[in-house]
Amino acid sequence: MKVVHYLNQFFGGLGGEEQAGIGPEVRAEAVGPGRLLEQVLGDDSTVVKTIICGDNYAAENLESVMELVVNEVRDSGAELFVAGPCFVAGRYGVAAGALCAAVQAELGIPVVTGMGVENPGVDLYRQELYIVDSGENVAEMRDVLTRMAAIAKVTASGEDVGRPAEWGYIPRGIMRDEIVEETAAVRLANMIVAKTQGQPYETELTQTGFEPIPAPPAVPDLSNATVAIVTDGGLVPAGNPDNMPAIASTIWGSYDIATVDNLEAEDYEVYHRGYDNRHVLNDPDRLVPVDVLKELEKAGEVGKVYEQFLSMTGLANPIANSRRIGQEIAENLKNAGVDAVILTST
Amino acid sequence: MKLTLAIHEVSDAKLGSGTSLEGGTLTVDADELREAILEDRRIESVDIEVANPGEPCRIGVVFDILEPRAKEPGTGSDFPGLLGPMAMAGQGTTHVLRGTALTVVDAQQEPGIASKMMEMHGEAAANSPYGNLHHVVIVPHMIPGTPRHVELNALRLASARATVFLGSAGIGQDPDSTEEFELDGPSTDREGLPRIAYIGQIHGHQMVVEEDERILYGSNTEGMIPVTMHPNEWLDGAVVCSYWVMRVETYFYQNHSIIQELYRRHQAGEINFVGTVATVAASLEADRNRNCLLAAHQAKWNLNADGVVLTKYGGGAPHVDMGETARICEALGMKTVVQVSDSSGDRRAESAMLFNYPEVDAIVYGGGGDIAWDVEPVERVIAGSPAVAQALAQMTQIPAQALCGVTNQQGASVVRAVVY
Repeated sequence: MKVVHYLNQFFGGLGGEEQAGIGPEVRAEAVGPGRLLEQVLGDDSTVVKTIICGDNYAAENLESVMELVVNEVRDSGAELFVAGPCFVAGRYGVAAGALCAAVQAELGIPVVTGMGVENPGVDLYRQELYIVDSGENVAEMRDVLTRMAAIAKVTASGEDVGRPAEWGYIPRGIMRDEIVEETAAVRLANMIVAKTQGQPYETELTQTGFEPIPAPPAVPDLSNATVAIVTDGGLVPAGNPDNMPAIASTIWGSYDIATVDNLEAEDYEVYHRGYDNRHVLNDPDRLVPVDVLKELEKAGEVGKVYEQFLSMTGLANPIANSRRIGQEIAENLKNAGVDAVILTST
Repeated sequence: MKLTLAIHEVSDAKLGSGTSLEGGTLTVDADELREAILEDRRIESVDIEVANPGEPCRIGVVFDILEPRAKEPGTGSDFPGLLGPMAMAGQGTTHVLRGTALTVVDAQQEPGIASKMMEMHGEAAANSPYGNLHHVVIVPHMIPGTPRHVELNALRLASARATVFLGSAGIGQDPDSTEEFELDGPSTDREGLPRIAYIGQIHGHQMVVEEDERILYGSNTEGMIPVTMHPNEWLDGAVVCSYWVMRVETYFYQNHSIIQELYRRHQAGEINFVGTVATVAASLEADRNRNCLLAAHQAKWNLNADGVVLTKYGGGAPHVDMGETARICEALGMKTVVQVSDSSGDRRAESAMLFNYPEVDAIVYGGGGDIAWDVEPVERVIAGSPAVAQALAQMTQIPAQALCGVTNQQGASVVRAVVY
């Protein structure tokens, strides 16, 4: 197996922090940890190229380094790309993650890297990559490379890598169903007994940490503001012109209310399987309160009601999809000069 | 409170003359059972069939599955508040026809996302806790023009009535074994053992209950605040599943996996099982705050629990309520473990959780979204209409979530979503 290996200036033997600005160098042989990598991969593997780059240079020129690495890997006919391990070196980890992701996406060959869980590269790339948990101790290099090699070999053979704890990589957050021996009741009882007695227990799901979203500042003067209504409750005009699905929509719709003072039941439908739709079907203003907002507009309390309401179906929607739809809706309303948005959910 | 289950092992079931239980064979007289069901004059007719394990047979759309049981006369009420007069469930002796099921088909339901079915043979059946049972299947047909909520009410009553009718075959017979359920309370010999409680949701009000729906002692749970219950009440007919059935059947309550497991550990001297709280998930914010707070405080001050097991009923909103209840429990100094079910459409862990509390860190994660079994067409289908029968007969794949009992969210499932 031909292997291309990426190292930073320190592990590439060029020097410490004072050499972090150095640009990429390509060597036609294994360097430093690459020699150990060759050993643990076995006789049929050769590091055909080592690319060494300073951490600062990579951080500041990531696009061009990515392009160079992808080209070098392609030209060498490599069957495996390895970066690091990076331990807890943050810039190194971020670059290694980005390079692995780029090689994987562009060339479709197996890639593997290693980092400590605190490395910022982990949160950025754990979903896309196998990142071996290297811890922070560089003395563990052989063990870390051995686990990286094991994962590289199994992915190269097209087989599935096993559970994170068994293979020593950081969970990617991909769910797979398995039929297990113990019922959920037994697992629940095991865990509560352990937890109440201060014994160790292993949760089956680690919660994902999300950045808190601060509340935006208040609208200074509503009588001069354009206000839009956005809902994830699945309200659409009768006939469902955009084919809004009833669960986890990947689309959102924008529907005209410029000349409407009140949403009539016969003009609307709901596509959302997660709540009892009857109250909204009886009176759509309960979900998209056009009636009250138009009254406030006439009374001068609201400057203008934006002439469209935006709608999608939020039910069981994956985070990545929700994030994209949120960004699209925000951009759309921003471009339309909307000052404030009322979000209604179900 | 002591409940004795008189277990009658049943190894075969058939239709025949005169309902009886002899030598492990349950004979069901269809005319007798029909007469009992048609006491409810809203029901015009009822089809009655038996489906045994291993038969190439498919059943749907399932309204509910129950374990045939009947109270020993004079020791309590069958499904109190629903079928029998109000009485405390969970005491006295209950006859159990172990190995059988009463399966009720909803003739008006179309196969769809929320529908449930049974497969009686092959790999799919092997993966359902109901696959190895002898099913007595009833398909009630209402008089034309019956409103839907009335129809559902009639199905619910028929399910209870037929269950007790079948269970009564055990009365007067020597049981094969007995199981006893009794808590000795906070006795001194349990000092030092963790005091464990269970908080279980029994409905999610994001789906509106019918006025004549019967869930808890005949109550439709509307406006319900959490209530402390003896574990035996769950096992003995206090609770049936709501019409909006999401991965739960009444059979499951009668054999509640979590309550049985906590009992087992209590009897083994590993824990002190101090009791349960039944609650509902809310659809309104005020109800949510009230329910979550009161459920947690009942576990703390009524039950003095050290640790609490929590489960939900339904989808996302109940998931959030369960998380909030667990958070409050932790804030009150009780440890928690929760069972969540996979709600990640993209099979990503980041999409899986609907709450994010660092202290709610003991999570059992049920799956089911990935699993489906390939099946062959079958000739025998027990269904409520020719259209449903045809749809079921021609199925080529059964997703885990459509097969009764596989993805139960209250402890019974062995399908786990593993994070890779």
